[in-house]
Amino acid sequence: MPRFQRITCDNARNSSRMKRILLFTVVVILAATSIVLAQQAAQATLRLPAGDKPIPILHQNLMTFFSATDVITALGGTVTPDSHGFKVTLNNVVAAFGPDSRFAVVRDDLIEMPLPPVVVDGKPYVSAQFFAGFLSRAADMEVSWDSNARVLSIKPQQHTVANVQLSVANVQGTTKVVITLSAPVDYSILKEQQAYTIHFKTPIHAPYNDQAHEDPNVAHTTFNGNDLVIQLTAPDVVGDAYRLENPIRIVVDLRKAAAPPASGVLPPAVTRPVEAPGIHTIVIDPGHGGKDVGALGPGGTMEKDATLALCRKLAASLAIKTGARVVLTREDDSVVSLDQRTAIANQYKADLFLSVHMNAAVVKGARGSETYYLSLEASDELARKAAERENAAATTPSSDLKLILWDLAQQEYVNESSRFATDVQEEMNAIAGIQNRGVKQAPFKVLVGATMPAALVEVAFISNPEEETKLKNDAFVTTVVDALTRAVVRYKTDYETRIGVIQPTAPEKKPAAPAPAATTTTK
Amino acid sequence: MRRTLFVLAVVVLAGTCKKKPATTSNLNVQNQVAPRVVRLYFESAAMLLAPEQRNVQLPQNPAAAMPMIARELTKGATNPAFARVLPPDTVIRGAYLLPDGTAFVDLGGTTLTQGWAAGSHEELMAVYSIVQTMSANFVEVKKVRLLVNGTPAETLAGHIALDKPLTPMRDLVDPRAR
Repeated sequence: MPRFQRITCDNARNSSRMKRILLFTVVVILAATSIVLAQQAAQATLRLPAGDKPIPILHQNLMTFFSATDVITALGGTVTPDSHGFKVTLNNVVAAFGPDSRFAVVRDDLIEMPLPPVVVDGKPYVSAQFFAGFLSRAADMEVSWDSNARVLSIKPQQHTVANVQLSVANVQGTTKVVITLSAPVDYSILKEQQAYTIHFKTPIHAPYNDQAHEDPNVAHTTFNGNDLVIQLTAPDVVGDAYRLENPIRIVVDLRKAAAPPASGVLPPAVTRPVEAPGIHTIVIDPGHGGKDVGALGPGGTMEKDATLALCRKLAASLAIKTGARVVLTREDDSVVSLDQRTAIANQYKADLFLSVHMNAAVVKGARGSETYYLSLEASDELARKAAERENAAATTPSSDLKLILWDLAQQEYVNESSRFATDVQEEMNAIAGIQNRGVKQAPFKVLVGATMPAALVEVAFISNPEEETKLKNDAFVTTVVDALTRAVVRYKTDYETRIGVIQPTAPEKKPAAPAPAATTTTK
Repeated sequence: MRRTLFVLAVVVLAGTCKKKPATTSNLNVQNQVAPRVVRLYFESAAMLLAPEQRNVQLPQNPAAAMPMIARELTKGATNPAFARVLPPDTVIRGAYLLPDGTAFVDLGGTTLTQGWAAGSHEELMAVYSIVQTMSANFVEVKKVRLLVNGTPAETLAGHIALDKPLTPMRDLVDPRAR
């Protein structure tokens, strides 16, 4: 009997102890969860060549974020809020980021961050990747984060001095200035009245100080510190610069400006997007790139090369004919993910997106061009489902309204994309010998998530030997560029008339001259 | 204390075990194999999807029949007027159906693994030949999700988004076969 009592007593004690343990466990679990989820504020050391300085940091989602204001101010720059997020300025280089995006814009480039910036008490916190990307461009500095010692080190980049060789050759009226580099060097190109200045961001070993050239376009080439000045013979000489690998070369093609643009000028200067309604920024997406070669023609033409060549000319033509800022999703043979292409368009707050591809089919004799836009179902089946579920769960006016607004916004993009795709296809159809394969809808990955009217044009079948040959012909490419330019101008005029930016009776907007100063940066 | 922790562990384990889904009734269908006429979609000369009928020995259970039909598709068409739609080395690693009507077809093979250099049209035909074939042969299939090597893939060749299940596209099917 006493044994029974003892057990009962033990049970009672156990039960109360168990309750306490359960309570304790719950508290521990809650505390642990809140530690992981909460923004944990802390301090770290910012190590600059001038000395150490404490800076606030915070931990969120297992990532470390640094106060952008503290770091940039310590370097002599500024961080100011703007309508979409924050503007960071250092040495006249401006970067912009917002709490909604993993991408920061700096010049005509993007900095990818693992997570979007976090805003606490109106102050932005960013990951170390932002500083690495921004400071390498703005201050030629490198960034490292030691998480054990909690030290963010920022110091001048260590560079090897690159040897430079230069050659000038004239081929059929076009002067090719080829600058061969012994090591990768970041550079920017500035067009002045009668000269191009290539500014190398790291030390170079110049072959000479000044040399005169017997050339119709190039008078002198002068090395001055880290600058190479290509003095032109006349102000109407225009140029196109690109970069080649193995060995690393910068090639500047220079020729006398013809009445219509032949193969383009340098990309226009990048400024922050204009907020006024209308088409101000156009993103052109050359399909594929890098190891993703796209479709292959029977003669060996790669889709990625054909799209890039065409898009470079298209960008130049659009900049002149529309006066809009034109951004290419890739300017060379590099890999850009499909998500990143749309992210570039969204980040630049583009008003129009055109992806350019070359088609291929197994069926022999496949020919012609077709234009795609995204179906509403494909554009947002999941978001719509989520909204529907939310709507079914709580039939409040706000969720009803949200659903209607969402549908309206999506429907507007789809309607506008359909108009734009129709303009593109109709202008393509006007090209002699092009078979009309029509305007179609399909779930193209590169169009999903674009928050602007967007279309994808399949110019011709690279798998058809006849069309492959055409795609290699400059005259045909120019015809296509002209057709696509007309399509964009037509859509722009139509859209701006509909929204009342230009009067219905007004003649077509006079094409604006391209920006006089153009800069480009290559990594 | 130790006893309490043990009890807690048992409770947690019991909770986890309870959530294990019951075996679907589909798997209990007797797997009798019988000849069945299936429609496999290939690309016609009109550059649209058109069906080729084929007699295939198939188990009654759709779960077992699904990968077999997908494998028939990878063999290519017998009609010389029809074009092959998938890279010749494509393999079907598996195919299964979820209770909500989503069929999963798991693709593999060297070309799709290493990067398929194909045009939009080729890719549209490849993707939708599978979607159309699965939907046409199984009434249970409402939509089709494609995987590559058992994992979600962005696209097969850089064009058509595979991150969501796809429904058949009428416009891609030859009007005579609609």
